[in-house]
Amino acid sequence: MSPIVGSPVARIDGRAKVTGAATYTADTQVSGALYGYLVLSTIANGRITGITTQDAERSPGVVGIFTHQNMPRLAVPTSQLAAYWKRVIPLQNADIHHSGQPVAYVVAQTLEQAQHAASLVNVTYDARTPQTSLSGAMDEAYVPDPGLEGPNEVTRGDTEAGLAQADVRIDVSYTTPMHHHNALEPSATTAVWDGDRLTVHETAQGINATRLSLSEALDVPLANIRVLSPFLGGGFGAKGPVWPHTMFTAALARHLRHPVKLVLSRAQAYTSNGHRPEAHQRFRLGAKRDGTLTAIDHITTSQVSRTEDLLFNTSEPTRMLYACPNVHVAQRAVKLHLPAPSNMRSPEVVAAHGLETALDELSYELDMDPIKLRLRNYTSVNPDNGAAFGSKHLQECYRRGADAFGWSKRDPRPRSMRDGDTLIGLGMASAAHTAGGRPGAGARVVISANGKAVVQVATHDIGTGTYTVMSQVAADSLGLDLDDVDFELGDTDYPFAFVSAASATAPGVSAAVNRACTTARRSVIDIAVADPRSPLHGIPADQITVEAGILYDTDRPKLRDTIRAVVTRHGEPVEATTNPVPIPPGYTTGAVFAEVRVDPRLGQVRVTRMHGIFDAGRVLNRRTLRSQAIGGAVWAVGFTLSEHTMVDHHLGRIVNPNLSGYLVPVNADIPEIHIGFVDKPDPANREAFGARGFGETPMTGMTAAIGNAVYHATGRRIRDLPITLDKIIGDGEAG
Amino acid sequence: MKLFDYARTSRVSDAVGLVAGHPGGAFIGGGTELTNLMKDGVLAPDLVVDVGALALADIGVRKGQLLIGATARMGDVAEHPVVRERFPVISEALLASASPQVRNRATIGGNLMQRTRCWYYRDVGSACNKREPGSGCPAIGGQNRWHAIHGGSDHCIAVHPSDLAVSLTALDATVLTLGPDGRRSIPIGDFYRLPGSTPDQETALRHGELITAVEIPESGPAAGSRYLKLRDRATFEFAVVSVAAALIQAGGVVTDVRLAFGGIATRPWRSAGAEEALRGHPLTQATIAAAGRALVDGAQPREHNAFKVELVQRALADILEDFGGRK
Repeated sequence: MSPIVGSPVARIDGRAKVTGAATYTADTQVSGALYGYLVLSTIANGRITGITTQDAERSPGVVGIFTHQNMPRLAVPTSQLAAYWKRVIPLQNADIHHSGQPVAYVVAQTLEQAQHAASLVNVTYDARTPQTSLSGAMDEAYVPDPGLEGPNEVTRGDTEAGLAQADVRIDVSYTTPMHHHNALEPSATTAVWDGDRLTVHETAQGINATRLSLSEALDVPLANIRVLSPFLGGGFGAKGPVWPHTMFTAALARHLRHPVKLVLSRAQAYTSNGHRPEAHQRFRLGAKRDGTLTAIDHITTSQVSRTEDLLFNTSEPTRMLYACPNVHVAQRAVKLHLPAPSNMRSPEVVAAHGLETALDELSYELDMDPIKLRLRNYTSVNPDNGAAFGSKHLQECYRRGADAFGWSKRDPRPRSMRDGDTLIGLGMASAAHTAGGRPGAGARVVISANGKAVVQVATHDIGTGTYTVMSQVAADSLGLDLDDVDFELGDTDYPFAFVSAASATAPGVSAAVNRACTTARRSVIDIAVADPRSPLHGIPADQITVEAGILYDTDRPKLRDTIRAVVTRHGEPVEATTNPVPIPPGYTTGAVFAEVRVDPRLGQVRVTRMHGIFDAGRVLNRRTLRSQAIGGAVWAVGFTLSEHTMVDHHLGRIVNPNLSGYLVPVNADIPEIHIGFVDKPDPANREAFGARGFGETPMTGMTAAIGNAVYHATGRRIRDLPITLDKIIGDGEAG
Repeated sequence: MKLFDYARTSRVSDAVGLVAGHPGGAFIGGGTELTNLMKDGVLAPDLVVDVGALALADIGVRKGQLLIGATARMGDVAEHPVVRERFPVISEALLASASPQVRNRATIGGNLMQRTRCWYYRDVGSACNKREPGSGCPAIGGQNRWHAIHGGSDHCIAVHPSDLAVSLTALDATVLTLGPDGRRSIPIGDFYRLPGSTPDQETALRHGELITAVEIPESGPAAGSRYLKLRDRATFEFAVVSVAAALIQAGGVVTDVRLAFGGIATRPWRSAGAEEALRGHPLTQATIAAAGRALVDGAQPREHNAFKVELVQRALADILEDFGGRK
């Protein structure tokens, strides 16, 4: 294997991004485009009784005001690959299910005109009392029918019997608030019709999902729709599923016979893109005195909307992370007058936070080191189904992480470590997330007479480095220099790829690119050895090595040809295309450690060190993979200490839909983050060079590690996130 | 955003005349606040008069008074050597505000005129007596973690957000203005109004009246003054509670003390009671505790902000101990 795969290649699109040359979706200029702006409901429950649009219609530049009375009719997309998770489409009737639901779509000549006209639309409602408090409606919880990830209740063994056998039992509950993605780039759509053909520039993590949704919603043949998304300014799941505003924009562009562009405002994104729902979790754990788990009972109750009940806070950590014979998980829903929850980076983080905090609590009950407790319950197979993991090197992660972090210097007693009046706490947890198990991707490669290759996949670079990593994979598989490969993505004209989500892009697209490029390389070799004009003529194809654009006889390296010469003589480009192959389900794990310093008087918590050692299979690019780990750790700090979407339960309205009130961490909140990788290939992902999906793992565990460190520092177990200063100085119990 | 006219002049009297002549006129300094409120539809001036070209950016000491021009940038004031050495609480309050980018842009006058961060005020989809008099106050019975425990009324409990104003309140600053009726000097204690039944009227300024400078007397307490700000993340965040303290001791007792608080009240909150509990007494745990009790005397906590009653006392104790009160 050449050293291209695995080397820390800097982002090949980095210069374009920092100089502003990269054209993001909202940067796309389409001549003659009209501008859309949404009017959102101010009530959370009820019906529209009237909409007065005269003032708005008379406002300068206004082309049209579209409400449920005159919006083109749309069909609800139902195919799973369309990734439209809602069961309704707004602007089709007068019903209001949540505050911030679209009630009008204004189209004007400029964005400012559309915004101003939107402020002049006057909506009257028959408002009813909304119900938005999860804690206030727990008695309405139910287990919904199986969802995207299967059944919502799973039993293994006999949990009650397991609890009865235990020497030590704990029964604890945790609450986590509503969270929002807050990608730097707002969601944007520009829809352009040419006759009966539609081109959509979309901020999409799933251009094929967008295409299929539009096909079903607008009743347009799939072949007539092209979706483009060359750069994404972060998605975190918000842009994975398809949302109504995209369909409105395409429908109105058709209706008005004009391109239409819509960019959501930051506030609008809080009710238009999904979110991580508020959740309550109850854990009952039983263990023998030696730490062996005898039972885990895990009930998660999450907010859903009034119109949908798909659940995203799923329980895989409880099912998969530890050997335990008796496990029961239930994922319950409570219908509230809030927007529909959806995919959000690391959906298993909620369950992982609960499980890894509960294990820390258990370690204190047992007076046992928390790493030792985890090793006691280590599993080499997936306990959910008995199947072997492709590979799992979590034991090595614990050992290396503990060494690097200095875990052995920790005095486990709460409040035992201090620096003057400042309390110091050290905490750890396992990180784990499912990765892959999705439809995968196809790929196309064309090698031209100039010796350069273009590789195309309808995938996405959501900020993770897909352009760079797939260029590395293609160069490696083709035997070309990195500079001679051009990787293209973000266009539904290219071979299919699944949504860039579920930690599935690296394994799925790498495998597809490798397959296509290996085939193309073999074609070049076959052409060379069959060509009497080639110095390699007549040599068995298996004996040819290709590196840096040069083909040579492995035994006699001086016998050589070049890809450029072979393809030039051939007279036409060499092409190869592969179809999608599903990615095997993977499980990516790690060990994470956090140090906090707490001022107990003023309630200030600062994370001062973070370490993570991960087994992500083979590392394709250490630099981009490390960036993903850092991003996960940063988000874990926000999840644990500050991020919280707040709802006024009288109004049913989010009160902090902005980056002033919703507190993501700032640089000063983040210490040096130390990241390491085991870097051993996963044999189950051979075609992907042994790489396993990773992006969602590093946020998991770290939330609990920080919370466990706060407990170690203060002796106070704060079971209600975020851990804000009022809880440090207060009673610390779950609300 | 509503269409608006824009004007820029280098003469202070012209700027005042332009705004005074337009009922919907407004001054704009750095633009870090007004433009946000305009984009969110909270404010909709039809004329915006840029004060950036006015010669009001000087910073200096004259006759025992620190004079800070209204268009001086927050960052420049914070880093000014005289401010850092003789009025450290002002520098510390400014450096604890916003971000470097905002401080490089925002002006002193604009900072004093910034509007509350109350989320209901900033959401045109909600009622708010400050934005729309008579529409109601959802904060009183709603999400009020950020809201006031002092100075509220049945109409409004929004917190004043300026750290700078808290430090100036501790140092007995005076706000200098030029209005259509001429110049005025307004003591900072009279500058900010309690909401009462008219929370929309936030300051003593009349329409068209422009802040030209703030004036702060030099003093012993000012030279040793300090600012402590507690918040929910390390930077770029408004105070949950904050304390500006200026204090001197002689012969083992506190001889002069000024204490002002942010994050807890509808205006920068000077606590005469807390000062009284310390003046003439040594700084001990007992006197510090008494000052804290006096500070929260009469406080009116709400459902989600009761912790501020305890937290602000702890913040006060913390800063007083730095003046040598640790025993």
